[in-house]
Parts: sequence; structure tokens; C-alpha cells
Amino acid sequence: MQDSADKLQGGSMQLLYSVAEQLKTPLSIISRQAELDKLASGVADPDIIHTQANTALTLVESYLLGLQLAQQQTALALEPVSVSSLLVEVAHELDGFAKQYGVGLELQIAGKYEPVMTSRPGLRAALLSVGYAMLEGDLSQDRKLSLAVHKTPHGIVTGVYGYYDQLHSRQWRQALALQGQARQPFKGLCSGSAAGLYVAEAILQAMATRLRVGRHLKQQGLATTLLPSQQLQFV
Amino acid sequence: MAHVLLLEPNRVLAQTYDRALQSVGHMVSVAFSAEEAIQAADRLQPDVVLLELHLPVHDGIEFLHEFRSYPEWQAIPAIMITNAAPQAVQPYAGVLKQDLGVKKCFYKPRFQLKQLLKVVAEQVAT
Repeated sequence: MQDSADKLQGGSMQLLYSVAEQLKTPLSIISRQAELDKLASGVADPDIIHTQANTALTLVESYLLGLQLAQQQTALALEPVSVSSLLVEVAHELDGFAKQYGVGLELQIAGKYEPVMTSRPGLRAALLSVGYAMLEGDLSQDRKLSLAVHKTPHGIVTGVYGYYDQLHSRQWRQALALQGQARQPFKGLCSGSAAGLYVAEAILQAMATRLRVGRHLKQQGLATTLLPSQQLQFV
Repeated sequence: MAHVLLLEPNRVLAQTYDRALQSVGHMVSVAFSAEEAIQAADRLQPDVVLLELHLPVHDGIEFLHEFRSYPEWQAIPAIMITNAAPQAVQPYAGVLKQDLGVKKCFYKPRFQLKQLLKVVAEQVAT
């Protein structure tokens, strides 16, 4: 039992380290932009300051949510969630950030999908975290990412995808093992510390699911599988 | 005033440094990877190179080794602006300074743009 507690604490420290490293970037950007405004009035971009501040806050909030869910400080309130409508919301929030990094962001939500029984704030935080990480460290071949949903026999699958050289589940398992230790733990998918991926994984684990390397049409990325709600069915 | 080659993988940070450098009259070529930086230097030789140590695929030290392998680029001063903590860079300080021509290393969370502009001006003047 002590081993499990130690392991949990060790994992939490690695995640905290990863998040702290990641926060250097938006905070450096905000600080330099503010200084730029002092050096040359009117040259700084308030949209950059605003977007980067929101990114940093989202990372911190998502990290705390994952921690609270894992330690059961916050109850996992389940509700029927339309994944398509949630993706629209997530895309809207990621849009400004994507534009700043020059990455195209597409929604691929065609089709009707049953609602899934899940934590809406948890799923939203997880998708945002993955989105921010993949956008900032974008290594896709055509600088375009998709937020997508599709159905499989196992459930409703949703995630963030792009065109990459072949991604393998093994690379994601290695990245998980390298959490907080490697400068670029998931080089095939994104550059940087990929803290957002680990935060998303922590949240999804608390929701009894996980991130996995997945495919959507010809794209690859990270996605999670959710079970449709049996309570409500869209006709 | 000078042609600055800026190698910074984060596009938003690159834009910020670019604007600061242009505000004092420098011309800036921005590269997001080591490969792009070599191509940019080939098109127009820089007077000074600013680079991040942590690059996608290759790191800044690998880039500088390749950059310095070209005789015409061996004397161009380099200034590092990096997220790597000072204690992580310290073991490489000798190589960076003596072999790779790095004149100054800034730690991103703690440096200021005005310090950068001052060092760039000093290096261009020498």
C-alpha cells in the first residue's frame, strides 16, 4: 500500500514538474510582450497576451482538476454529453491560439452520435489540454489539426488528429514513462514537454478512460473512447 | 543596422523577439528549426545569430556545430536564449563559449528584451 502511495506521489511530482516547465512558455511570452510595449509603444499585441494568459490558466485549472479527481476531492459528476457540441466549444476556445501558431484547426463532426455519459468539464479540460499541446508543439506535416469524433464498436471516439509519420502506441507508452524527465517525450507528435498530454491523461484516467494513439480517416493523433449513454438516444 | 538570424521554435516568442529587434532597426530572418536556419543563413549571411538550445529534432549545440562547419560563418557571434535552466547549460559552457562562439546565454524566464538588444548591439559593433 505504501508502494502504491509512493508511486502515486512520484507520478504527481512528475506531472507537476512537467506542468511547471510548460508554464515557462506562456509566462515568458506575456512578460516579453509587456516589455515590448514599454520599449516600443503599440508594437505589442494584446491578443497574444490575452490568449497566452488563458492558455496558462487552462493548463493550471486542468492540472488541478486532474489532481482533485484523482484524489477524489471532487466528485465525478456524470451527465449525458454531446461530443460534437463539446468539440465545437473546444474548437472555439483553441481557435485564437491556433491562429497565433499558424496551425489550421478543423472540425470533423459529421454524423449523429449518441450522447456519452461522462464528466463534461473533465472531457472539455482533457481535449483542451491535448489541443494546446499539439498546437504549440505542432509537428504535423501540413500544419493542420482536426478535432474529430467517430463511432466504433467500442464506443464514441474523440480526439485531436493530424498528418504525421507513422505514430505507434509504443511511442505514447514511452512518452508516459518519460513524463517530467525528457525534454521532448513524444517527438513523433509534438515538440516540447507535452505537459498538456499528461494532464489530459490524468483527467481521463480519473474518468475511467485513457488517451490512446488513434486514427481518424487518414490522420493520426491522440483520442479517447467513451461509452454512449443508454438513457438518452438522439433519434 | 544588422541582419539577425533568429532561431526560435516557438512562433509567438519568435514574433515577439522579431518585433523588438526590428523596433531598433535590425533586419531579422526567423527560422523555426535548425534546417530552416541553415537555409536562411545561406540566402543572406547574418551578422549575429540568436538561438534556443531546445529545438525540435536537433538541439542548438548540434545546429551550432553544423553552422560553424562553414568557414564563412565561423566568426559570426551567437547569443543563446533558452528555456534550459542555467545548471543544465553549465556543463556545456566551455564548449559553447570556446568552440561554438556563444558570447552570451540568457535564461528565458529571467532575461529582459532590453538586455538582449544591448548584447546584440555590442556584438554587431565589434
